[in-house]
Amino acid sequence: MIHTHENSDQPVIEVIDLGIAYETRSGDVEAVRGVSFSVKPGQTLGLVGESGCGKSTIAFGIVNFLGANGKITGGSIRFQGNELISRSDAELKRLRGNRIAMVYQDPMQALNPSVRIGDQLSEVLTCHTDMTGKEAWERSIAMLERVYMPDPADIMNRYTHQLSGGQQQRVVIAMAMLNNPALLIMDEPTTALDVTVEAAVLDLIEELKDEFQTANIFITHNLGVVARVSDFLCVMYAGEMVETGTAEDIFKRPRHPYTMGLLASVPRLGESKTDSILQPIRGRVPPPAARPRDACVFAPRCDYATDECREDRPSLIPMGTDHRARCIYAREIESRQRTRRRTEDKNLVQDVGERQLDQEELLRIDNLKVYYRQESNSVVSILGLGEKSYVRAVDDVSVRLSMGHTLGIVGESGCGKSTLVKGLIGLEPVTDGSLEFMGIDIQHTVSQRESQLIKEMQMVFQNPDSTLNPSYAVGRQIARPIRRFKTVPRKQVRNEVIRLLKAVRLGEAYYDRLPRQLSGGEKQRVGIARALASRPDLIICDEPVSALDVSVQAAVINLLLEIQQTFGSSMIFIAHDLSVVRFFSDDIAVMYLGQVVEIGPAESIYDPPYHPYTEALLSAVPIPDPEAEQKVLRLSGTIPSALNPPAGCRFHTRCPRRSEMLPHGGKICEEQIPPWQSGGRGHRILCHIPIEKLSTIDPVVHNSA
Amino acid sequence: MNEKRTTASPPADAQTFVGSDETRGILRGLSRGFSFVLASKTATVGLVIVLFWVVVAIFAPFLTLYTPYEQDWMSPNAGPSSEHILGTDELGRDLWSRLIYGARVVLVILPITENFWIPGGTALWGVLIALLIGTTLGLVSGYYGAWIDELVMRLLDAMMAVPIILLYLLIMASLGASAINVVIAMTIVGTPGIARLVRSLTLDIKTREYVKSAQTRGESPLYIMFIEILPNARGPIIVDSMLRVGYAIFAMGTLGFLGLGMPPPSPDWGSMVAKGREFILMGSPWASLWPSIAIASLVVGLNLLADGLREESMRYQ
Amino acid sequence: MGKFILRRFLLLLLTMVLVSMAVFLITESSPGNVARNVLGSFVTPEQEQSFLVQMGLDKPAYQRYVYWLVGSDWHASSKTGFPLRRITSEEGFEEWWALRDDGSLVRWKLSGDDLISVVKQPDGTTSEHVDNDAWSRDDSGVSRFWGIDTRNHAVLWEKGSDLKVWTFIMGTGWMKTSGGPTEYLPLKKGFIRGDPGVSLRTGRPVSKSLFPRLRNSLVLAGIAFTIVMPLALVLGLLAGVKEGSFKDRFLSIGGMTFSVIPEFATGIFLILIMSVWLGLVPGATVFGEKAPWQRLDMLILPVLTLTLIELGYILRITRASMVEVMRAPYIRTAFLKGLPYWRIIVRHAVRNALMAPITVIMLHVNWLMGGIVIVEVVFGYPGLGKYLLDSALFKDINALQAGAMILVLLAVGTQFVADIVYTFLNPRIRYT
Repeated sequence: MIHTHENSDQPVIEVIDLGIAYETRSGDVEAVRGVSFSVKPGQTLGLVGESGCGKSTIAFGIVNFLGANGKITGGSIRFQGNELISRSDAELKRLRGNRIAMVYQDPMQALNPSVRIGDQLSEVLTCHTDMTGKEAWERSIAMLERVYMPDPADIMNRYTHQLSGGQQQRVVIAMAMLNNPALLIMDEPTTALDVTVEAAVLDLIEELKDEFQTANIFITHNLGVVARVSDFLCVMYAGEMVETGTAEDIFKRPRHPYTMGLLASVPRLGESKTDSILQPIRGRVPPPAARPRDACVFAPRCDYATDECREDRPSLIPMGTDHRARCIYAREIESRQRTRRRTEDKNLVQDVGERQLDQEELLRIDNLKVYYRQESNSVVSILGLGEKSYVRAVDDVSVRLSMGHTLGIVGESGCGKSTLVKGLIGLEPVTDGSLEFMGIDIQHTVSQRESQLIKEMQMVFQNPDSTLNPSYAVGRQIARPIRRFKTVPRKQVRNEVIRLLKAVRLGEAYYDRLPRQLSGGEKQRVGIARALASRPDLIICDEPVSALDVSVQAAVINLLLEIQQTFGSSMIFIAHDLSVVRFFSDDIAVMYLGQVVEIGPAESIYDPPYHPYTEALLSAVPIPDPEAEQKVLRLSGTIPSALNPPAGCRFHTRCPRRSEMLPHGGKICEEQIPPWQSGGRGHRILCHIPIEKLSTIDPVVHNSA
Repeated sequence: MNEKRTTASPPADAQTFVGSDETRGILRGLSRGFSFVLASKTATVGLVIVLFWVVVAIFAPFLTLYTPYEQDWMSPNAGPSSEHILGTDELGRDLWSRLIYGARVVLVILPITENFWIPGGTALWGVLIALLIGTTLGLVSGYYGAWIDELVMRLLDAMMAVPIILLYLLIMASLGASAINVVIAMTIVGTPGIARLVRSLTLDIKTREYVKSAQTRGESPLYIMFIEILPNARGPIIVDSMLRVGYAIFAMGTLGFLGLGMPPPSPDWGSMVAKGREFILMGSPWASLWPSIAIASLVVGLNLLADGLREESMRYQ
Repeated sequence: MGKFILRRFLLLLLTMVLVSMAVFLITESSPGNVARNVLGSFVTPEQEQSFLVQMGLDKPAYQRYVYWLVGSDWHASSKTGFPLRRITSEEGFEEWWALRDDGSLVRWKLSGDDLISVVKQPDGTTSEHVDNDAWSRDDSGVSRFWGIDTRNHAVLWEKGSDLKVWTFIMGTGWMKTSGGPTEYLPLKKGFIRGDPGVSLRTGRPVSKSLFPRLRNSLVLAGIAFTIVMPLALVLGLLAGVKEGSFKDRFLSIGGMTFSVIPEFATGIFLILIMSVWLGLVPGATVFGEKAPWQRLDMLILPVLTLTLIELGYILRITRASMVEVMRAPYIRTAFLKGLPYWRIIVRHAVRNALMAPITVIMLHVNWLMGGIVIVEVVFGYPGLGKYLLDSALFKDINALQAGAMILVLLAVGTQFVADIVYTFLNPRIRYT
């Protein structure tokens, strides 16, 4: 029997020098080694690192659930003073779900689709305690209430698919907290959620930790999230813990080159291309089988690496009370945690204002509407009768884009930003409104457009794993648009492809490679080269970096900036990450439920006056700086259906500002479509609240610097 | 595990093949396919069985002293002996000869008329034609969606609702027994399944970004379907086809057994079993035993091969 | 959910209509073939032509399809002006009569230029009368009459046409008569009214021999199905629980082997082993007058053959589904909730794992039917399958069409049932 010590000074979990390996046909592959940490009650340890660095493996190692081929090769895991390694399955089973609970990345997948929520919750209680089914049911309702689930008794009788993503994650969290666990392990719990939902879930996690005094292990790749929730940090790289310390220390004074690199490669909220430079880490995370055993694992990508680094594996060097880094030069190298200020090479990216651009309008979208027919399975609709319902994916959107400019479009999933782009590029028929590109009407879908027009608009896509056709070599895929649009004479196609490969910093050697031989960042570069091949005037980037690892993101963003500079292309940049959009764009449009609610020059969006939705978005963005002071403004409810959007202002059902800032609790918002209000310099807000009032709102973020 | 495992890139010397892009691609594909098979024990066993029958069928004339029609009136229904290694049937014909010539019809030749045949076995042609039609239907249906999809799917549903045995009976009753009609029957039976498979693959693949990229380039639907989508569906289609060849052999046996297969006196495994069945209870099981074993082993072999390949490709992913 | 089921039901109807057309088209695609197949290859063109006309095969396909599906009596009734009745004679043959106002039944025949009416009184006696008043003369002076002949056709006689007719009588041969009608309309009630016509092979109504055969087949299939289903599902779940274990490999390779060996081969192996070498059970089924369930020992081998082949298939499907479910994140969740193993399997895995196979298994009823045909042939079992095969070999199109429609109805019906079961199992459909 494992005794429970409820002593708050004793660590709940203590991991010492943990090693985990997977058995493969070609022998064991070490996935994790040399990981040590401890977590006390009421504390959160953040495990942060890029994909493939072994974070999740540690989580499942703690509960010894590594699958058929995983095994713990060394070290010790002490839970409440008792060793967990080599414990019987029955004993572990008693701990799992009881003293140790877990929350997972994708709540939809983590919940059983064919068992009622209530049964999934209450069985945790009935199987670990001798509670009756009825008591367990009551307790589960109470816990759902505790996680602010609306109408919990009703939720208990529902199935997973009937809940929204945020609600599902609340159910998973409630499930984890039911037995009042001592240790809560969360594996990317908010990664699959939208930013405003994420913020609310993070708040909840924080609140529960304080109330139940659990020890939390929080796994994520997102530096902003980890800065918000963690007391202590473990930075993981390629299966090794390279740095550990308090969150404050690590964000302020990172000592390992990898940590520094990570921090330097993400833009801070508010930073823009005109004033800072992102500094990517070169290369990629090596696969487990290719990691150096007796050398610093980071050496191949490190700017400071010397021969010494390649000779022996560095040990953790203590830097302060809790701060340790696995780098032999940890004490010597200068701390360089920030993105670099753009001072010396200001000529590379110039402010739009200074650039004396030819302000010719490239793209003009007026009152664009893109509606989808809702496919209904009812008998009536099979026969073609009955009312047709439409998803109003894009409803009355007007934007402009000037030559050489970048327009950023932000919004959460379902806001219509992707559909807007589809309508623009001709993949989706336009329902109403006008679209003009260089003065030419482009209402038609792509099959009816002139090829001269098609070649002027190309796209860079989101997912590196699906952006390239796995069946063909890289060169052939870049050559296809060149041949199709006859950009260069036939004989020069190969040279042109090589020129493009070089432009995206890939060499001729990549010509014959197949996509599966490339890393995510490399695939994305090929995708960019393919988009450039037809020499377009407008490049549309649909979340081009959001599926990439942090260290690679920076390189791709820099590449895109450089391309814009050299080729003078205009860009539309879609993203859900507000920091990245701000960094990249000259103008920004914020979308909500098919409409643009705020639009203007990038800097004006990030300062008051804000549209209330923009304000909520900004206050939800996780900032990779534990000291940044950020306003807490959360949205209630879920996003309404675009089939039947709310009358009046579409945002009125969730608006946190209208009742306090408008007379009669903002009754007008429910009844009338709000007017566009101008804030000067092309900044416009779609809101009933007078712009003077909106201007008095405090800025969302006070940067610590 | 939510962590992406990057697959190890193949060794650099995989690139040192010489030759044009195409041949290199094919060679690479073949060698990869072959190493795939050998990596799985199941697939290797399957391959050995299948190869045995293929070799035997190709070299049939050199592997026996008798033609499949020669009758030995002195020893009908004989058991295995030194003269007839597998014995003889009720007319005294050599069972080994009939067996391996039967394999020929299944795997190597498609008899069009009595004296004219084209290479590729009856079972293979049945699957091949179904593959062509089914793939096209599936691609079109999956890619275009909307009413075209609805129409094609309803038709295929109706086809699949008809019990297969019934289709055989109907086709054979109205068209009669011949190798060509066996191919037609197998085409009709195979098409809906292949179309459904290809459609579901198409539905998946058409959401990939490289397809969107082709669309934004204004590529024609034909280009997108056959150049962008189809090559990426090949894995499951190959495995499925292998299973289908197995099933086609199964079906040929069944047709022959029901008297709907090759017209006599062609050496047809199914009809050999049917004829021999009459003599089992009289104590001479050989005439029906051997072809039963032949069909069973060949079909099992193909299934092992397909299963092994599927497992291996899943592991690879 | 109601909408979903209704939708499936409409699709079912649509499928049946499409399939019935296909069945009809395939079997009747070449009427000449039908004639030659029934009459033999020594038939003269005249005889063939005469036969086709009498069978109504000279009519356009759509018309024949409508007659076949919903019957031709209503059409004939409007032509003759009499309501028509079908009665069964003492010898078991079906006869069509026109019903007169006075309640007597009447048919006609032509003798020279005289129209003879054959009247059947309610007491069963028949009498013949000359009935030349029935002729109706048109403007060009030709006398015509629509009536019912003695061989179950509605026919159009034309006075003085003196057509030679070749009649083929089963067991007797060809008979040449004169004074034949100019148009024939064979009488039947149509498939959906339970009358698929008369067997060309036996001359008796198809429905008479079809239903006992169907019953026998259902007995065989039912027994096999009740053994196979639970066994295969349980074994499949067992194999899928732990992917790659010995149990799994043994069950899936074993299952695969049995499921891919053709039924007739399995049947032969079983007869050889169980009957010839071990002498345990009979190797063929001979029921005589008895019903199948009265000789259960004869059912053992057919059922075993069916079991082996179906078992493997369903086992493999269930296993694959279970394997996939066991890999699902929600099973991991259940494990990490610390639930007991059996509870995870029973509550969290099995239900999800059974969802996929149910539809596939029901689709497999099609294959089960194939299996039954073969098994019936191997063991000489007097079922629907054997009946169908015999009909197909004889080109008895009426019997074949009827049997085919019954099979399709069963197949489509089970798929409909599967859809409903699936709806109940899957909350995602139930609650939308």
